[in-house]
Amino acid sequence: MIKLSPKLSQRLSYTILFLATLLAIIPVSAIIFTIIKNGASAITWEFLTAMPKNGMHGGGILPAILGTLSIVTCTIVITLPIGVCAAIYLNEYAKDNLLTRIIKLAIINLAGVPSVVYGLFGLGIFVMFLKLDVSIIAGALTLSIMELPVIITTSRSALNSVPYSFREASLSLGVSRWQTIRYIVLPNALPGILTGAILSISRISGETAPVLFTAAAFSVPHLPHSIFDQVMVLPYHLYIISTQIPNMPKNIIFGTALVLLMMVLTMSFIAIVARIYFRKRRKW
Amino acid sequence: MVDKIKVENLSCYYDKKCALESLNISIVQNEILSIIGPANSGKTTFLRTLNRMNDFDKTYSRKGKVYLVGDNIFDMNMENLRKRVGMLFAMPIPLPMSIYENVVYAPKRLGLISKKSELETIVEQALKDASLWDEVKDRLDSSAMKISGGQQQRLCIARILAINPEVILFDEPCSGLDPISTAKVEESMIELKRKYTIVLVTNNVKQASRVSDRTAFFLMGKLVEIDKTDRLFVSPKEKQTEDYITGRFG
Amino acid sequence: MRKIIDTTIETIIFICGILSIIFVVLIFGFLFKEGFAFFKSFGIIEFITGRFWYPTSNTPSFGIFPFIIGSILVTVGACIIAVPIGVMTALYISEVAPKGIRDVLKSAVELMTAIPSVVVGFVGMVTLVPFIRTLFNIPTGLTAFSGSIMLAFMAMPTIVTISEDAMRSVPWQYKEGALALGATKWQTIRRIVLKAAMPGVIAAIMLGVGRVIGETMTVMMITGNSARIPLSIFEPVRTMTAVVAAEMGETVRGGMHYKSLFAIALVLFLITFIINFIADLFLGKNKNK
Repeated sequence: MIKLSPKLSQRLSYTILFLATLLAIIPVSAIIFTIIKNGASAITWEFLTAMPKNGMHGGGILPAILGTLSIVTCTIVITLPIGVCAAIYLNEYAKDNLLTRIIKLAIINLAGVPSVVYGLFGLGIFVMFLKLDVSIIAGALTLSIMELPVIITTSRSALNSVPYSFREASLSLGVSRWQTIRYIVLPNALPGILTGAILSISRISGETAPVLFTAAAFSVPHLPHSIFDQVMVLPYHLYIISTQIPNMPKNIIFGTALVLLMMVLTMSFIAIVARIYFRKRRKW
Repeated sequence: MVDKIKVENLSCYYDKKCALESLNISIVQNEILSIIGPANSGKTTFLRTLNRMNDFDKTYSRKGKVYLVGDNIFDMNMENLRKRVGMLFAMPIPLPMSIYENVVYAPKRLGLISKKSELETIVEQALKDASLWDEVKDRLDSSAMKISGGQQQRLCIARILAINPEVILFDEPCSGLDPISTAKVEESMIELKRKYTIVLVTNNVKQASRVSDRTAFFLMGKLVEIDKTDRLFVSPKEKQTEDYITGRFG
Repeated sequence: MRKIIDTTIETIIFICGILSIIFVVLIFGFLFKEGFAFFKSFGIIEFITGRFWYPTSNTPSFGIFPFIIGSILVTVGACIIAVPIGVMTALYISEVAPKGIRDVLKSAVELMTAIPSVVVGFVGMVTLVPFIRTLFNIPTGLTAFSGSIMLAFMAMPTIVTISEDAMRSVPWQYKEGALALGATKWQTIRRIVLKAAMPGVIAAIMLGVGRVIGETMTVMMITGNSARIPLSIFEPVRTMTAVVAAEMGETVRGGMHYKSLFAIALVLFLITFIINFIADLFLGKNKNK
């Protein structure tokens, strides 16, 4: 082997690292680019606001968009308050004993359990045991259970990032525990909690497996009336039209993918920008 | 002379380790009592016991009684106790809000006042008593994180004064400050003793001799000696005290 | 009044805390109950080592060995691609990239996490699958290999962000110490940074693996769904997740087939839980430094 000078070896290594970074970024950019290029032509006002026609071969995807929006809204309404409160409990109130530590560990690890497992769990508990049937609410509850550990974990790290000394200073003035949390801890943790929540919304919107057996329908001829209705959702709709229906016009599939992708990416983008902004503005 | 605080047989532990052993001490109204001693002498533990800041530490436990004008503080509601016994920490900890909001924070949260005009008088008075008013009166709305360390520490004093406590505990309040800022904090301490009773824990023997009426020397969790400051520094009764104040150890 | 509001809110917080504990117990309890109900009538050894999956035949057989192999094959393939690229990218972002580009790159990588798996699957289906088929001249492009490639992209953001965090948290004194001794920046990165950040990098890889094993829609769409034990990575496979997702809709609720899917879910649950647990241990190790 030829022995390179340290300087040359550094330059070579940096080049390799740079190429690896390109290799990580380019394919994904290509995915996004492909979808935009092929899907943009499908995006019309009608596509976004009309019902599907001719067995999905024409018309729009309004029911799928509304279905996704309603499930995501229900989910976040259920999971965000419970998750944030649970995070406050675990971080600020719970005694630091073995049980609490086990619970914290379990919650962190539950965040990595496959979404299809949650789907099956939701089917067993909500659809069958609680007899909610395949419905918006069953899907939302399933997604809530799935997202709860994530919300708790991100909220806890946001709470943790508020220095302990602030709490001590407030408590030493005779201010109660809850008031300290309410007026010192929460306001300073809020940006972190909210960016976490937006990332969660983005993730939930793109999930297929958990709603597969709990909420999603192949086709529903009308828009959802109540939370006990089955609905079409974007990710499942994309799955169906790209794998189960023969001779689908390509631009409809790409258009659907584009709508879903834009929804998800926009929210993530907002969350990431917001986080950078709040970090820069942080006072301590 | 009225005893403001009376400590009876107080022992404190972290896990099983004894940090403070059967302490008996009285703190007189309107005095500055300094507590000096080397590291691990139990002085900070004692101070944090007086307004029960250590209660959140689950390894901490204690025996004995502490009376604040007749009431055992361990039977009192924690919030009421802390309202009467304020504490200044070693490092200045301004809350992440404006100077004005820092001062009104506790009075507002404790529901001490309702009218906005009252708040403004409180802010002015507290900042004046902490000798900070002249320096910040034109920028009460700027962030408390942006003023200097010495100003922050005096702001923290003002924050305590705003709830009008009876006793103020100072936990090495100048350890992070330069000599000029230290002088200012000491100055306001001497001013304050007219209205308040002050307990000062300090590593700085000279500081104790400059500001306090009486000084107590702690060693290894025990009170070795307590006396009038000038007497303790001139003719200490115990050999250990003499060694410490002359700088032979610690 | 103030006191009453305070206590009410605190009570709500306690209830939510306990609720989250109940959910944790519920998930564990439910999966174990359903899974064990299945293992009572069908042996666990036979389940894991059995080579044949005939859930609906008259004499049903529930061997998930082919799916385990499928999952392993796809995961290992994805890791071989994602780990080196991911770790090198993390090194580039944390140590080499100019400051301005660093935040942009990090955000871009994070944005990658958000792409839904069904979208990745769809794009793989229309671009990669035909490409693989013609490139290797094989009967179908729906192979374990295609799955590995697409899943590598999904594991990459996890690996990059978490290793980058670990590298960034290496104390600058370490680096400065090495630089002061005359090492070049690259030698410092290689010998000091990479070594000190190793627990975090391992945790990142494990979390990436966890994500790949649990991935469902992408593999269902591009790995061909064949229940046979594959002989090479250029053959169709079926993963555990795909079995659950694909067959759940067709089962008789409460029947053996239905229960067997819960048993698979239990296996998946345990695998990912253990992986995450170990990753968590490594992350803790990194923090304590």
